[in-house]
Amino acid sequence: MLQTPLGTTGLLRSARFRAEREADWRLLEKLVTEAERRGLHRMEFAAARDLAASYRRATTSLAIAREISLDRALLMYLEALTARAYLCVYAPQERLGGLVRRFFTTSAPQAMRRSSVFILIGFLCMGLGALTGYLLYFENEAWYFVFLPADLAGGRTPEATTPYLRSVIYDSNPDHSGLGAFATFLFSHNTRIAIFVFGLGVFLCAPAIMLTFYNGLSVGAIMALHVDRGLGLDMGGWLSVHGVTEISAICIACGGGVQLGAAILFPGALSRREALQRAGRDAVKLALVAAVMLLVAALLEGFLRQLVQDMTIRYAIGWGIGALWLAWILLAGRSRA
Amino acid sequence: MTRLRRRKNRPSPDTLLSPEGVPLTLRVAGIGVRLAAQIIDVAITFTAVLCIMILLGLLNLTNPQTYFAIGAMLFFLIRVPYYIATELVWNGQTLGKRVLKIKVVGHDGRSLTTHAIVLRNLMKEAEIFLPGTLLFTLDATTPLVSLLSFGWIVMAFLIPLFSPHRQRLGDLLAGTHVIHLPVPVLLKDLVHDAPSLGQDARDHVFLAHQLDHYGAFELQTLEGLLRVDERQMSSAAFNHHRKTLAEIIEKIRRKIGYANPVPPAEQMAFLKAFYAAQRAHLEQRQLFGDRRADKHHATGDRKT
Repeated sequence: MLQTPLGTTGLLRSARFRAEREADWRLLEKLVTEAERRGLHRMEFAAARDLAASYRRATTSLAIAREISLDRALLMYLEALTARAYLCVYAPQERLGGLVRRFFTTSAPQAMRRSSVFILIGFLCMGLGALTGYLLYFENEAWYFVFLPADLAGGRTPEATTPYLRSVIYDSNPDHSGLGAFATFLFSHNTRIAIFVFGLGVFLCAPAIMLTFYNGLSVGAIMALHVDRGLGLDMGGWLSVHGVTEISAICIACGGGVQLGAAILFPGALSRREALQRAGRDAVKLALVAAVMLLVAALLEGFLRQLVQDMTIRYAIGWGIGALWLAWILLAGRSRA
Repeated sequence: MTRLRRRKNRPSPDTLLSPEGVPLTLRVAGIGVRLAAQIIDVAITFTAVLCIMILLGLLNLTNPQTYFAIGAMLFFLIRVPYYIATELVWNGQTLGKRVLKIKVVGHDGRSLTTHAIVLRNLMKEAEIFLPGTLLFTLDATTPLVSLLSFGWIVMAFLIPLFSPHRQRLGDLLAGTHVIHLPVPVLLKDLVHDAPSLGQDARDHVFLAHQLDHYGAFELQTLEGLLRVDERQMSSAAFNHHRKTLAEIIEKIRRKIGYANPVPPAEQMAFLKAFYAAQRAHLEQRQLFGDRRADKHHATGDRKT
């Protein structure tokens, strides 16, 4: 019989502890590797059940080992194994397809309805901006150059002749439609505005509101210019095709930004960071909706606007799509009570 | 002063409290490895964009004026779903993160939510990519905007430096951070070997008072030394290792007052026996509530 310095049994308590449980840990290791390789949802029922049970036993083992064992190899192994198993067990159980569907059918419209106040603030900023721009233009035409940078106006300045303005509105120039135009419009001025309006909302709302207001100013000024030349209705049609969607997108992005800023300004009973995280839940959905709308607007602008030259049809398309958006926001995702 | 102390008392950023209430150790990934993962991901998405661009070019759907705009659009349209989809499917790992074995985890120890993944990846757009593209598109003509977006990117990179969890803005908002995947490797138990030493082990017997000198830190340092594989050493390294062992044994003998000399052939046996005895002693003390972190454990008690 061997006599060791450790006493009669020959094994430390911690070594016995390890010897008793090692097989279980090895099993967990195998299951974790399988779950990581194939994904939890493709595992057999029995294996998944064993994984969860084995993981909980391993956490217990870890907690005990920290108390009774000084074997660093064992401790580090258990730390790593439980951490790895933890990451497997607490993985998001979500399918991609269902996710997209749920976003469009329920969660996005619900979020929009929840933050309707903020979206209205966005529309209000834009509307007030447009009104101010419109009135200021009639006060003094020089304001036009303040609101619209030269590259954005694209020749449509108070100096331009009325026929030229008309030609811009009713123009089926082929190199301004199709994929290239779609891409150009998508990354045009307005998309950038929408991104900044949302992102800068974090800084206490002010930049978001100001940018939206400024965007409204330019819309108002450009409308005023055309009304001044008796092209108001035609311009309205030209703008409606994509503008209803695009300007709404900016207002919704502004709503999201303001929501974030408001969470920082008025966190209520929560800490500012918690309030921001909570507001982020809806604000992100608003941003996603705005992104989808901008995409649609770019499609309309790139493909449809040049195809449709009739004013009334332009109005019908623009506001019809606007009504569809509104119907989606108001009606989708309501539970049948 | 109080602030400094609070910072010291704060739990290490590497621990994460699991829902079972057992703190787990998940090492926070640094900025370098995350940047490397990003570069891999950007390379993957950019290659996809290039392929589609070439395809479009062959189909005559592009012209030189719109090349950049279409490229930027495709990059954007591929990039955003790529990050979100990969992190959702592979539980917080994009391909780049998989290559470098890092992973996104929920900051509070709960599982990653879809919302968190979408949010942190959309914020990535706002933090890095959009100001980045802006920096590319507007260069000399509009210095103010370029400067602003450059400043914004610099700020986005600085935020993780000041956060203990290396969280960027998107991580802060989504409540996530990035960790190294731990690798479980179970080495054999050194104590398990001890009985097999047989005759030698019986020669080295330690008394309780001889084992009162050291704590867990010294024990685990010794463990590390004993786990070194001597067979893989070059002869010079082996000699050096043996010399270190001899010195350590001398130190231990002097400290614990162990009278018998240890011949070179028995060095390993002695150290293993000492390790086993010391561990048994310390673990027993620990069971009785006497945790000994290191050899200074006694100095505090002596005063009382």
